[in-house]
Amino acid sequence: MQTKPLALLTRSPLAGVFVALAVIFTLSALISPYFLTPYNLSVIARGLAFVGLITIAQSMLMVLGELDLSLGVIGGFCGVISGILMVRLGVEPYSAMLLAVLLGAALGLVNGLLVTMLRLHSLVLTIGTAGIFGGANLVLTRGVAITGIPKDVQYLGRGDVLGMPVPFVIMLMALAVATFVMLKTPFGRYMYAIGNNQAGARMLGIKVDKVRLLVFVVAGAIAALAGVLMVARLGTAQPSIGETWVLAPIAASVIGGVATTGGVGSPIGAIFGAGIIAIIENIIVLFGVSPYWQGIVSGAIVVLAISFDAISRRYLRRDA
Amino acid sequence: MKKIAILLACATALALPFTATAQDAEGTTKKDAYRFVVVPKVVHPWFDKVNEGAQAAAAAIKAQTGSDVEVIYSAPQAADVVQQNQIIDSALATQPDGLALDLLDPSGNRASLEEAQNQKIPLVIFDSVPPEGMAIPYIGSDFCEQAKIAARRLVEVLGGEGEVAIMQGVPTAPNHSIRAECHRQVFAEHPGIKVVAEGIDNDSIETAQQQAAAIMQANPNLKGWVASDAAGPIGIGQAIVEAGKQGKVTLVGLDNLPEMLDMIREGVADSSSASQPELQGYWSVMLLWAQATGAKVPGYLDTGNAFLTKENVGG
Repeated sequence: MQTKPLALLTRSPLAGVFVALAVIFTLSALISPYFLTPYNLSVIARGLAFVGLITIAQSMLMVLGELDLSLGVIGGFCGVISGILMVRLGVEPYSAMLLAVLLGAALGLVNGLLVTMLRLHSLVLTIGTAGIFGGANLVLTRGVAITGIPKDVQYLGRGDVLGMPVPFVIMLMALAVATFVMLKTPFGRYMYAIGNNQAGARMLGIKVDKVRLLVFVVAGAIAALAGVLMVARLGTAQPSIGETWVLAPIAASVIGGVATTGGVGSPIGAIFGAGIIAIIENIIVLFGVSPYWQGIVSGAIVVLAISFDAISRRYLRRDA
Repeated sequence: MKKIAILLACATALALPFTATAQDAEGTTKKDAYRFVVVPKVVHPWFDKVNEGAQAAAAAIKAQTGSDVEVIYSAPQAADVVQQNQIIDSALATQPDGLALDLLDPSGNRASLEEAQNQKIPLVIFDSVPPEGMAIPYIGSDFCEQAKIAARRLVEVLGGEGEVAIMQGVPTAPNHSIRAECHRQVFAEHPGIKVVAEGIDNDSIETAQQQAAAIMQANPNLKGWVASDAAGPIGIGQAIVEAGKQGKVTLVGLDNLPEMLDMIREGVADSSSASQPELQGYWSVMLLWAQATGAKVPGYLDTGNAFLTKENVGG
């Protein structure tokens, strides 16, 4: 006879990744005396915030069965644009950030239109658009960072609220909205239906292309938000922002149970996956792992986490 | 008895200031173990040499003082300031006795450096310069002079005439941008020298090779190259060999990586103006240790440059 909470846990598709995250967290806390310090936890949370935002955006697209490899570049490009607006053109800083987020939405719209109207594969298309957006970034900056970001907006990247880093709180808010929309609204159900079977969704009368377009737009805006928050964090608009935001969000989503084929998973699971990656990156430094071993160590932990997830799910299901 | 007591009191009073002075004297704080963290720009052979120097300094301190000294080398996998800051922040969480850093971008690294100063963790910057207004000891060679040595040599070899190109490293890295600017200054002094192209290699040999190959295609009359980072000349040298332009295009390199030295020996490169990474790593740890003992340290320490040619690189 099984207790009710355990039954609930076993039914949840998040059970495996949550247990994997909890195990890695507990082991890290047991092994390193520095891991559970408030400062270190805030370091992890702040780092997770930026990749987490991209992960939310990517997981939404993956549920649709799409992949956008330009999200990181959109983040970097829009971050640079916000810097240009506020430093070179004297636009009021918060307005500049808002405009940059709108630009991100517009770039998402471009991706979405090309995918839906020309029936292009999003993965292939966004390799191309990533090149264009990234190239435009270099043309505008010539590779040189834009300095002199006003101190007022730096709070958004460096400050704390309720004892948590501001970007992390913003990421949690975005996660809450995305989760609510995807799990509790008709629009969310349409997303899963499209991801499961696009042709079937069309036959059911779902406006498939409109839904896909809108998700691309939202994903672009979220990526831009990550970019402008990173500008606030660094105090400079670095052209290199977003370069490392390509594979980690996809890996995080997959670890978190989001299927690359669509229709399965949620942003919460993806954020758990991103949490695992963020902790791995942190403990590698805490343990002083040689940089030449870091790839092997982090890769092995990810493989272990995914295996643990799969095994625990199978075990819990058998137990249920 | 009273007199003895008064004498004792006077002696104690006189001795107190001396005792206090001995305890507070700079550089006299001693610990049984020190842990220093070295964070370079990126995983790169040049920084391996910095690490070798840092480990040598740790061994030297241990041999001389008996204290255990651990140097942890933690390098970003990509030359990305976001990733570097994440490593710095995580390293700060371990409360090291000192942190030696090569900054990817002083303004982009500022928040992490300020956090280190708030936590009163001794800092040293090597191969770079501190952010404006931040008092942090730094170590390096005169980057501008290093570049000027290379550029002047190229002008000399070309006889003051010809088309040349400059390979920038990471444009936001101050040492790279200083070198690129100083190359330009030297070339501007010679009317016969024309800078026809500039590439950006982002401290990657592969990128440098691709950029150099494309630039040489686009500029068939190109006569010479200088670079602004250690990866640049290696990639340029590969491109020169692949294009069959050895002997027709002169390369004056930078730094002393093994590939650079091989290219000088093989005649692919004329020479190299080299900073000394082992010394930068060695003195980074020494300055961190000195700060941890309470000693004052110089604001800037110059480890000098070496000019390498076929005659002095050895077999």
